[in-house]
Amino acid sequence: MAETPIEEMSFEDAIRELEKVVTQLDRGEVALEDSIKLYERGAALKARCEAKLKEAEEKVAQITLDATGEATGAKPVEGL
Amino acid sequence: MLIVNNPSGLAHEMPEGHPERIARLETVFAVLADVDAERMEAPAAREADIALCHPQSYIDAMRDAQPTQGMVQIDADTSASPGTWEAALKGVGGCLAAVDAVLGGKHKRAFVATRPPGHHAEKSRAMGFCLFGNIAIAAQHALDRHGLDRVAVVDFDVHHGNGTQDLLWNEPRALFISSHQMPLYPGSGAVHERGASDNVMNLPLPPGSDGLAMRSRYESHVFPRLRDFDPDLILISAGFDAHARDPLANLLWEDEDFAWVTRELVKVADAVCDGRVVSTLEGGYDLQGLGGGVLAHVSELEDNDG
Repeated sequence: MAETPIEEMSFEDAIRELEKVVTQLDRGEVALEDSIKLYERGAALKARCEAKLKEAEEKVAQITLDATGEATGAKPVEGL
Repeated sequence: MLIVNNPSGLAHEMPEGHPERIARLETVFAVLADVDAERMEAPAAREADIALCHPQSYIDAMRDAQPTQGMVQIDADTSASPGTWEAALKGVGGCLAAVDAVLGGKHKRAFVATRPPGHHAEKSRAMGFCLFGNIAIAAQHALDRHGLDRVAVVDFDVHHGNGTQDLLWNEPRALFISSHQMPLYPGSGAVHERGASDNVMNLPLPPGSDGLAMRSRYESHVFPRLRDFDPDLILISAGFDAHARDPLANLLWEDEDFAWVTRELVKVADAVCDGRVVSTLEGGYDLQGLGGGVLAHVSELEDNDG
């Protein structure tokens, strides 16, 4: 499988792989020596997901500002 | 105190670049060289000793798997070389000799410097660098052959002691307590895994947590449970891979944390079982972290040893 660097992954790809990593760790399917590498990949994927969410949050906030025209600042949409 | 050395562990080879390497035991021997203790060389266990916890079919399979040259892979990260069988037998034998010495009253405390480690080996499954459950066999030996009523095993290796848990699961006279990073290999060790007779306690610790977090968990959970259980002997699976320097985990313990946990376990032992503690080496893969942790641990075992 050609590996996409984590920093270029879409949110969907990152969260799909993160779920896979968590399942593998939970089931103990990983060798001891590789366990920490997998955990660290999981942490990097989580950071990527968080970054993509933050991006989305900022976009939505921007849209909110444009739509209302309020000059008081952007309001992030709840739940994002 | 007594230090039981297993120099045959220096002939147990693993593949090039493997973290569970000969240099680990060399490091441990070096840092313990100046400790004031009586020393003995680990004797080989008999297969009947190992059969206290493992079925004969598994012992046969392990013996038959041993190579006369080269290396064979037994599990994803466990392999055997021509020196492995003797090292494994003497790892078990060293733990039994340490128990005999402590229960015989000659020493209050003993530390077994050995490899391969043992706490991942299940009844019929070698895994995680381990072949036989050294500490579980020692517990069963103390119960069945010395006639103790209760034995506790405390495992502070950063990985869950799934093997010890498996071997002692149905033994109501043994209390097994493991603290470990979660998530991490081998994936087991959740709080709800409690043993057949509520004789197992698992304390998962979050990645990135430090010695203070560990101390508070031990104070609130481990020491009260140990005192309630009132064992006749405390055994320790002493892994040093919760050290901040360790490459295989993300806990942030320092040398002083290993000293603290040892000191507090000795206090419990002083209160409930005349100070009797037998500890054996499990993991620890950064040589500096391993050396510092082992020295801190053994120095506390040595202190006040009558």
